[in-house]
Amino acid sequence: MPVLLTHPLVVRACQIATGVVFAWAGLAKIGDPLAFAEQIHNFRMVPVFAENLVAMTLPWIEVVAALALLLGVRARDGAILASVSLVVFTAAVIAAFARGLDIECGCFGTADASRVGVIKIGQNLVFIALAVGASLRPASRS
Amino acid sequence: MSDRHSGSLPGILAMLIAGVLLGLSYNAIGLRSRHPWGLDWIGRDKLAELAGMEAVGVGGNGDPGSSSLYSGSDDPFAIGPTAQLPEIPAVGRPVRIELSALEQYFEADAALIIDARDRFEFEEGHIPGAINLPYDEVITDPVVLESVDTGGRPIVTYCGGGTCDVSLSLAGELFYAGHERVAVYVGGFPEWVEAGNPVENGPKGPGGES
Repeated sequence: MPVLLTHPLVVRACQIATGVVFAWAGLAKIGDPLAFAEQIHNFRMVPVFAENLVAMTLPWIEVVAALALLLGVRARDGAILASVSLVVFTAAVIAAFARGLDIECGCFGTADASRVGVIKIGQNLVFIALAVGASLRPASRS
Repeated sequence: MSDRHSGSLPGILAMLIAGVLLGLSYNAIGLRSRHPWGLDWIGRDKLAELAGMEAVGVGGNGDPGSSSLYSGSDDPFAIGPTAQLPEIPAVGRPVRIELSALEQYFEADAALIIDARDRFEFEEGHIPGAINLPYDEVITDPVVLESVDTGGRPIVTYCGGGTCDVSLSLAGELFYAGHERVAVYVGGFPEWVEAGNPVENGPKGPGGES
């Protein structure tokens, strides 16, 4: 493992960056679960009966993970949770893109009008890199 | 630090559970589904309905009044038998229709009947005059849903009875595509056959297309 990647400061920076992304994404959706449910419905991947459940809980899970990352409390667990969820989100975006659905991403709430597409996939890959960097175990300094 | 090597799972699970609990309590379990037949957030009505249907069994006895799953229904707009042709109202969501009412509509040719099952099942046999809009195919194509030509008549959807729910889902999509009077025949094709009604087979696409 390159020393630079596992340098405690680099890991901490990745954690804070991922935490900011997740706090932003979660808070943007947290107040309007109905709109988020519509966007989830547009992806046509979640069973209809579970759409509301996901719409109500997913933003809160993101915020909890963001808090862990930003405060540094069990930050590595939060980073792993963020990595796994980002992989799932990215898979959903790729699948929607591959099926030719021209829909809102919904990733950052209704204020963000970005649509599913190549740019969104690339953006998510960057986020995944950050989150994976944040889940690395810091090399001990001693 | 080596003793914490496999210690991440409990923390991750705790975060997931905390998020779910926070989300549920924040929303106080009150959010209506965007689908218009009254599903609450976890699909309470629908799950109860499906469980009831499984207990009653497919086909039933064709008597919608007594032992059928509709008698326990809390749907105040459910369409039962009446002397004249019952009305399929525009109440802001699809309503359910019972076999006897559907038979009246069928004889009067007063409704567009849509089969939500897949093409293979449709070709095996369907309600005569019904068109086939396989739910799995049309959900990704809102244009088809909007362009269904009802001739001014209400729409009745059905599928394979039992626990199938594509007729419910299709009715919701049709409603959202702008069709105001939509009814769901929950008994489905098995109950229709069981009651000795006519059956047609062979392919027929949606409105002459495909």
